[in-house]
Amino acid sequence: MLLDLLQNTIDGAAAGASYALLAVGFTLIFGVLRRVNLSYGPAVMIGCYAATWLHLNFQSGLIVLALAAVAGTVLAGAYVERLCFAPHRSGSAIAAMVASFALWMQFEELATLVLPRHVYAFPLLHEGAPVEFLGLSLRPDALAVLGVAAILCALLQGLLHRTRFGLAVRATIENPHAASLAGIDPGRIFVLIFALASAIGGIAGFLIVATHGQVTPMLGMWATLKGLLAMMLGGLGSLRGAIVGALVLGQIEAHSQWFLGPQWRDLVAYLLLFALLAANPSWMTRWTISRSAS
Amino acid sequence: MLDLKGVARYFGGVRAVDGLELTVGDGEIVALIGPNGSGKSTTVNLIAGVFPLSAGAIYFRGEDIGGLPTHRRLQAGIARTFQNIRLFGQLTVWQNLWVAQNALEDRARRGFFARWLGGRARAREEIFQLLEFSALAHKQDELAANLAFGEQRRLELARALASKPKLLLLDEPAAGMNSEEIGQLRERILSLRQRGVTILLIEHVMELVMGVADRIAVLNFGQKIAEGAPAEIQADAAVRRAYLGGEA
Repeated sequence: MLLDLLQNTIDGAAAGASYALLAVGFTLIFGVLRRVNLSYGPAVMIGCYAATWLHLNFQSGLIVLALAAVAGTVLAGAYVERLCFAPHRSGSAIAAMVASFALWMQFEELATLVLPRHVYAFPLLHEGAPVEFLGLSLRPDALAVLGVAAILCALLQGLLHRTRFGLAVRATIENPHAASLAGIDPGRIFVLIFALASAIGGIAGFLIVATHGQVTPMLGMWATLKGLLAMMLGGLGSLRGAIVGALVLGQIEAHSQWFLGPQWRDLVAYLLLFALLAANPSWMTRWTISRSAS
Repeated sequence: MLDLKGVARYFGGVRAVDGLELTVGDGEIVALIGPNGSGKSTTVNLIAGVFPLSAGAIYFRGEDIGGLPTHRRLQAGIARTFQNIRLFGQLTVWQNLWVAQNALEDRARRGFFARWLGGRARAREEIFQLLEFSALAHKQDELAANLAFGEQRRLELARALASKPKLLLLDEPAAGMNSEEIGQLRERILSLRQRGVTILLIEHVMELVMGVADRIAVLNFGQKIAEGAPAEIQADAAVRRAYLGGEA
């Protein structure tokens, strides 16, 4: 029993780590642009499809596939930024969100056009059986995901707190108008953050499909849902909150799947989100309030 | 340094600023005064590029800057402070200044390594001097949100100076200050002028205006109703009627 609990916790942490990368990408875009980008997940899916295409046609190695996933996601992200967010920068947040939904549909159509089967196999990060350790089964690829996610989050933390670019980003998040009067070009920050978030999404997408061993067009919706859910659990717009939210989401899924069965897994996560939104705890709204007061 | 030619800004039917002509010479301290709602802050916002001109033109060092976005005007050498303080509360005092230096680095575009080696040391030195100048050296690692009101005001001035402006727009810098603080502010403004910074001062507090300004322009309902040396303005009948509340 205790062993099962521990095993679930480890599995949940690995899943949570991949959610954390998605949630961080979402949060960067939401924090800086104050816009929800629904086609974030689908852009990640396009990156993974680019990698899958390379895999099918050229049998490229994993490093090449990872680079292709990142490049594909950044390109798709740039397309989204130009079409949905650049035109609505000072305008309606709803218009930008609806436009990003339209691009989501485009991306799914594009993916099924290029690779029409519903599921494609993707080479695994680690072939073979999990390592047995004190009765626990540890998957090396899951540990690798955990490690990469931890390193990326630490690098991002350093970037945002130790570099001038990071400070300019945080100043823009706090008050874009005052930032421009301090000589920061908010438009440039928006574009760079979009590229950064897309690159992180590409890495997340690659790690996810390389541990699941398959790609489907549904990956887009899946990634948007997981990222959005984790971001909301952690309180909108805070990077640390998003990481915590993602880890919590991973744990909830792993444990509820074990205790209640796989069909309950997602429902429990949504119920928790519903309960949190209904209770409206102060840490969920604090950030938005500090923003409007400035 | 700065030339406003027929500058106007309309909000719907309201003529917030209406055909304003104003010149600020190199190294001058010019004060813009007037009753509430007379268009002083709007004028600052127009010069800083917060909203576009409805009519007229703004020349800065001979160049028409009327169409430039705000961050480009800052890079050109126009910095401002706000009537209500707008610091980055979640950054430290030091970071608030560091981020405002940004513009300079972009303008210089020197080699990457030169920027990191030489640039960093120089930037640090400049920030240190600004902290000394603003009497904030002991607070450099404090979050800006945690500073006292007077300290926030000083930090805002320092942040404007971090971009090494040629023209400084001060929007009611003495608001909420006591007499002693106003005295210190006056010393700071005068010492900035000695360093070659040109200043346009928007202010209600006559104690400060009369103490520093070389020239005063008076606005009422978006139009300039008088301009001259402090003594002339104090004696001007139209000004007394419109603003100083004197019985004319």
